[in-house]
Order: sequence, then C-alpha cells, then structure tokens
Amino acid sequence: MSATAKQARQRRKFWGGFGYHAFGIGAALFFFAPFAWTGLASLRTGSEAQQPPLPPWPTNSISFDTYAVLDTFGAGVWQHIFNSTIVALATVVLTVIVSLLAGYGFSRYRFPLKNVFFVLIIATLMIPFQSILTPLFIILAKLGLNNSLVGLVLVYVTLQLPFSVFMMRNAFDAVPREIEEAARIDGARDLKLLIKVLLPLVMPGVATVAIFAFLNSWNEFLAALILLSDNQKYTLPVLMTAVRAGRLGAINWGAVQAGVMVMTIPCLVVFLILQRYYMRGLMAGAVK
Amino acid sequence: MTDGMRLRQVRKSFGPLEVIHGVDLVVGEGEFVVFVGPSGCGKSTLLRMIAGLEEVSDGDIEIGGKDVTDLDPSQRGIAMVFQSYALYPHMSVRENLGFGLSMANVPKAEIAAQVDAAAKILKIEPLLDRRPGQLSGGQRQRVAIGRAIVRKPQVFLFDEPLSNLDAELRVSMRIEIARLHRELGNTMVYVTHDQTEAMTLADKIVVLRDGVVEQVGTPREVYEHPANTFVAGFIGSPRMNLLTASVQGTGKVVVAGAEIEVPATDTANGGKVTVGLRPEHLVVSPEAPGTLRATVDFCEYLGGTRYVYCQLSDGQNLVAEQREGEDLAVNKLIHFAWKPSELRLFDPQGIKLF
Repeated sequence: MSATAKQARQRRKFWGGFGYHAFGIGAALFFFAPFAWTGLASLRTGSEAQQPPLPPWPTNSISFDTYAVLDTFGAGVWQHIFNSTIVALATVVLTVIVSLLAGYGFSRYRFPLKNVFFVLIIATLMIPFQSILTPLFIILAKLGLNNSLVGLVLVYVTLQLPFSVFMMRNAFDAVPREIEEAARIDGARDLKLLIKVLLPLVMPGVATVAIFAFLNSWNEFLAALILLSDNQKYTLPVLMTAVRAGRLGAINWGAVQAGVMVMTIPCLVVFLILQRYYMRGLMAGAVK
Repeated sequence: MTDGMRLRQVRKSFGPLEVIHGVDLVVGEGEFVVFVGPSGCGKSTLLRMIAGLEEVSDGDIEIGGKDVTDLDPSQRGIAMVFQSYALYPHMSVRENLGFGLSMANVPKAEIAAQVDAAAKILKIEPLLDRRPGQLSGGQRQRVAIGRAIVRKPQVFLFDEPLSNLDAELRVSMRIEIARLHRELGNTMVYVTHDQTEAMTLADKIVVLRDGVVEQVGTPREVYEHPANTFVAGFIGSPRMNLLTASVQGTGKVVVAGAEIEVPATDTANGGKVTVGLRPEHLVVSPEAPGTLRATVDFCEYLGGTRYVYCQLSDGQNLVAEQREGEDLAVNKLIHFAWKPSELRLFDPQGIKLF
C-alpha cells in the first residue's frame, strides 16, 4: 500500500473516532446539564438565591444556606428523608420478594388457569391508578392503615407488582431448566435452590425490579398526598410541594434547588449500585 | 453379578398419553448401558425417570438393590451429565464441582480434597478458578463430568453428552468417557442417537422405539442378530437392506424373481417374509442361481469404501458396500452374492426367524 493511501486511511480513522467521541460527549453534557445547573444553583448564598437565575452558579462564595432553609419546612428535612427512605426500601424489599416468588411460580409450575391469572395480573397495568385512588383510600381506612407509611408501602407494592411479576417471569424463563435440574440432583431444594442457584442467574431481573420500585416509590406524589394527612409522615415529594408553594407568597428558589438535589442523589446512587447487573451477561457459558 | 440397577414395568404417562410402556431392564454393576433409538422414542424420558427428574407413573426403579422410585434425585446415588452441560454460570469451576457436597454439608477440607481428585482425573486442575463462561465446549463438558464424579454416584447418567461438541472433540471425549468407565468402574447409563457412540462405548445396548424396548444385547448381538426389522434397520449405517420376499416351499424364498435358499420356515407358502442383508456382505459376482440381479443407480466414493445404490427388477432398493473392485457404471446390470450365514430372515410381523 502506498504511503499516501495509508495516511488517508489513518486520517479517516482519526476523524471517524473524533466524530464518534464528540457526539458522545455532547450527548452526555446535554443530559448532565440540568443536574449541574440545579447542583450549582443550590450552592448559592441565601441572598444570591433570590436573584435572577443567570449565571446559575454561585458568584461570591459557596454556601449551604439553601439546605438549611430547606430544613425549616415541614417537620425538618431529615424526618422526611427518613420517611421516604423507609417507604422506598420497604417497597423495594417487598416487591422483590413477592415478584421473585410469583415469577418463579409462573415460570416453572403447571397449575390450572395459570395463563388466565398471568394475563389478569398484566391487565391491571392498563388501569390508571388515579382512577382507583378513592377505593384504595376507603380500603386503607377500613383496615386502619390510612395516614400510615405501612399503608402507603402496601399501595406502592400493589402498583409495582404487575410489571415486576412480568419481569421476573421472563427472567426465570431465560434460565435453562437443566441448571435447575442439575442443582436438584446436587441436593439443592426449595428455598436453597432459589437463593443459591437461581437468584444469581435472575439478578439482572431483580436489579431492574428494584430500580423501578425504588424510583417509583421515592418519587411518587399523588397517592402520598392523598393517603397521608399528618405533617410528620409526609414523604419528600409532598414536602417539595410545600417548598415550591413558598411562604407568605415568597418562594425560596434556593430551597427548591436544594430539595431537588436531595431527591435526586439517592436515585443516582441506587442506579449506580445496581446498573452493573444490566451489563453483565451472567448467562454466558451456562449452556451452549 | 450384583444389580447395578433394575427397572420393573416402568411406565410414564403425560395425561392420557402413555410414552413409556412398561420397560423391564436389569443392569449389572459396573456395566455401561447405552439407550439408543430415533428421536421421540422415550430414551431421554427414561433416563430422566431414573434420575428422578420425571415422576414414574407406574412400576419401580431399584438402584444398588434399593427402591428409589419415590426418592429425591439427590438421594438416589446418581449423577447426571447434561447435553447442555448445565454448569452454574455464577460459580467458579471449583464451586461447580463442590456444590453437591456443600449441599450435603460435607466439611470444607474434604470437599477440597475430592474436588482436587476429580480435577486430576479429568486434567482440569488449571481451570479450577475460572468461570464456565471462560471455558471451551470440551472443557465445560469435562467440568460437567467432574461434577458428576465428585458425587461418587453408584450410577452415572449421561444425556447425549457429546452432541454439542464438534466432530473431532466428540471422538476424543468418547475415548475419554470409555477410559473413565474403565478407571472408575461405575455403572453408566448413556443416552445417544449416535450409533458410533453406542457401538463403541456400550457393554449393553438397549434399542427403544415409541417407549418400548425392542432389543437388549451386546453391540455384537444387536448388530449381527437384530431381534426384528426395526433394530435391523436402525443399527448400522448404511442400514441393512430389508427386502420383501415370498415363501416358496420350505427353505426357499423369492425376491424380485430370484429364488434364494434360506433355512426352513413355518411360514405358509406364498407368505410374505423379509430378507435382511447387510451392505458390506453383498459381493459382486458372476450370474448364478441364488444371486440377486440389480441395476446400478449411482455410486458414492468415500475413499476407503464405496456405496453402490442399486435397484432390483421389482423396484426395491438395495445398497452394497464395496471395499475393492472397479467403479461400477450407472445402469450397469450386476449380480450380488453373499454367504448363507450372513442372511437374516424376519417373519411377516417383522420378528427375527433366524
């Protein structure tokens, strides 16, 4: 090959790579910008927070005033973080346990009307949950669970389950039956089989279910607003409406930005912890 | 010879459909038994019933003199090697091998010793810390066999273990399994549709069709003295020529107009019987009484041997295997002869007469 042709090829390769990476970086910045904006704006001092939004970063000095202001709303921000964390974690744990067992059952056992039940569960996805809020409220009231975090968790788990069961059934369907049979011959039964052999294989499904359960329960607003009536028990989204509504007609935009940060960071953390299970092709090498 | 395994009137039904129709089988301790049959004959189902992965609808299964029909798979003293390997992908090879023992609460030191011993037998020591995903097909199958060895079973069960390997690897793993059987001396039950594997590995071949045992015997018995036309046609490649013939007096049958001498039969004059002739037993010969006249359709040259596909005057097909001699031109008229001892005869129901 001549030297010029070689050079031309290298140049093409360089510009190809350059375009590829430039586009990638551009797209990443595009998605990162709102987070950066909010994060920087939340670090402005109290007086600066009330000024026009541009530039969005602190010009004088960095301060955590806005976070302190946030703490003056409701029962104090820590209480609401605590409420939200409890609700989200309980929702995740319950959803994962129930959908793991249900998904396994739907995938592996034969029982009458199995497909009918499954379709019924999936069909509930089509019901807009706003339309059943009133009956839910009445049911919880009858159970003595209105205005309680336990009641809220039960509602969230119920709303989360159709998608989660569907997800877990697919995850179990993808696990070759022979692996389970080999484990049974090796003496693993029931819960031991499920936890030691199958759970690691359906981990991508579990991670997906957990992420969705966490995000949806952490961010859910309407049901929390309607079912909770006690200031002490509000979750973060309900607190945020109070912050956003402002006091005496004045909205503290700094506190709003700080609240958004407080709500966003846990979601990012959960996603970053669980995302590696998406990437890993665990099934590779199990069977041909 | 003590019993390695015994099946008594074993049946399996899926709903109203019976797929295994009362199988009786005795396997001596240390015997290598191969189940062969066309796909759908129930050989895998039968193996899975022995393993305890399929419920037995009726009859019972004994392993080492103990009735295991209703026992859990792990309590039967068996180990199984699957066609798809079925290794645990999230565990290292070492953990895969030791999993069964750890489920049985065997002390860690003992597990390590047994895993090392099995790894040594299979020469997979350098792979112990890898994951199944990092192994080649042949290595994975070794690990799967190793997992079976570690359990120290009375009976090894193999479900088409070599089907996923390429041709070359299949031959070497076949030899490996034969060596393993000689070294370990366990009873082994092996399911395959590959005749070569069946003939080379087996002490005893069980030919199955539609959930029924057609014949049990050594490879030689099954090949040389097939119990019926199904076994005759199934074992051997190319298959035995099965020619329709009609009885003409005692000791004579007519095939495509040619009179052939056979041992005396009870079948009535004019009754239809089947003459079985292996392709390798047919020799091109000069025209003479008792030979078959055929027209050459085409020839396949395989190097060491040659298959000659012919047609008889009544339209029946015939295959002959020729190891020497000149190429035969298409449409050439030739005559085949054979030794009388090599001819097989089956009655109108297809059952062996001699």
